Amino acid sequence: MKHEDYKEMIALDALDALDGDEEQRRALDAHLAACADCRAELAALRDAAASLVYAAATPSPEAAAPELRARILAAIKSQPQDARHAPTNGVAATASQTSNVSSFDEFEKRREAREIRVGRGLFMFGSLAASIAVAALLVTLALVWQRNNRLQTELARLSETVNQTQQELARTRADRELLAAPEAHTATLAGTKMAERAHARLTFDARTGRAMLMAADLPPAPAGKAYQLWFIAEGKPPMPGRVFQPDARGHAEMHEIIPPEGRTAAIFAVTLEPAGGVSAPTGEMYLKSSAS
Amino acid sequence: MVEAAPQTSPDTELLHAIARGDESALAALYDRYHSILLGLLLRILHSRVEAEDVLQEVFLQIWQRAANFDEARGRAFTWMVTLARSRAIDRLRSLQSRQRADDTALRDAPDNVGDASDDAYHAEQREIVRAALAEIPEEQRRALLLAYFEGLTQSEIAARLGQPLGTVKTRMRSGMSKLRDLLGEKMGRGAGLNF
Repeated sequence: MKHEDYKEMIALDALDALDGDEEQRRALDAHLAACADCRAELAALRDAAASLVYAAATPSPEAAAPELRARILAAIKSQPQDARHAPTNGVAATASQTSNVSSFDEFEKRREAREIRVGRGLFMFGSLAASIAVAALLVTLALVWQRNNRLQTELARLSETVNQTQQELARTRADRELLAAPEAHTATLAGTKMAERAHARLTFDARTGRAMLMAADLPPAPAGKAYQLWFIAEGKPPMPGRVFQPDARGHAEMHEIIPPEGRTAAIFAVTLEPAGGVSAPTGEMYLKSSAS
Repeated sequence: MVEAAPQTSPDTELLHAIARGDESALAALYDRYHSILLGLLLRILHSRVEAEDVLQEVFLQIWQRAANFDEARGRAFTWMVTLARSRAIDRLRSLQSRQRADDTALRDAPDNVGDASDDAYHAEQREIVRAALAEIPEEQRRALLLAYFEGLTQSEIAARLGQPLGTVKTRMRSGMSKLRDLLGEKMGRGAGLNF
């Protein structure tokens, strides 16, 4: 796809006017992840689109009644809020403090400095000395080559760490975008009699299928068993999602890409199943979303 | 568009406070924006009852999600307005699928009349946007407004207007580009859109 085509898609995406074409969506998202220019363009066009709110007339004063205000604010009072999503473990958290990447930079600078020193030394000798210098150079080079091998191994290890960090950061960024995306849907799941204190929130983007389940106060799963998420669309049998285990505190966080057939689901449930997951629910239900 | 001011915008400050559980900050945000958001919802849903219901949903979600708003990724105003529009389009589609036979039943309120209620805070922005829209060629403007207020996709717009898809896409691209440029121009003249 040419860059111009992406620019056109971006203008349409700013208005949420793209057709629901899977492949096109994926191609656009992949391009956006890689192109800062297009990301900035999309943000600017979304700002412009948002200003269209002013193209709608404002309701007249008595319409914006004070009891509407009171009703809305009262309904929201003491509702739970999403916690800020941040990496709590792993490479991503460490990277923010230490500097796996900058130690690689240092390695590069040291290698360059060494090469320059060897080069400068050679010019100072006469022709006889030159042959001595060449011998010395060969020895130096041999030593450098040996050192280089060891450093190459270390470099490979650091590159791998950088990769992992980048992947984790990309995932964390994607999670936060999902949680904040104005188009994302949220479903609240409440505990059944199997786990009355359990609760969960499922946030998902119906266009891409990206979903995140955050659950709390789930009892630990017995050995050989795990919790499984189900998507229930009207008139269809429950579609299986991934399995997950809560941690010692009963919290669980699970990421999923919902296949297209499941994205119209309006009801979600979590049951206890054999650890490998099953294709149709067999176990007790622990969490269920309320029909809205 | 105007460059973001070096310090945080007032709206972002409110969102941060809301994220900390400050209910008075939510009330302040409600007071600042409920009228234009309600106007948007009424324009999309053509029903007072539905619009008020969705307005409640919108502020609930602002309350729930404020902690994950990141100003590095965009403006608070855009985030709020986009959230409101998305919920409205969701509700519109849900209503349309439930009442396919009888569209007129959806409309229990006439389209809004005046903007006399606008306080000074919004009146300036409204003027800027109205002026910008007036300068966009009619074919482009029609497509943009169909997308924004009726939630139509590019193919649906092409069908509605009886135009080829390629033409519609080009017009929408040009329209958005022009809108962005005009808004930037007008705001650059110190109009002070408080994003």
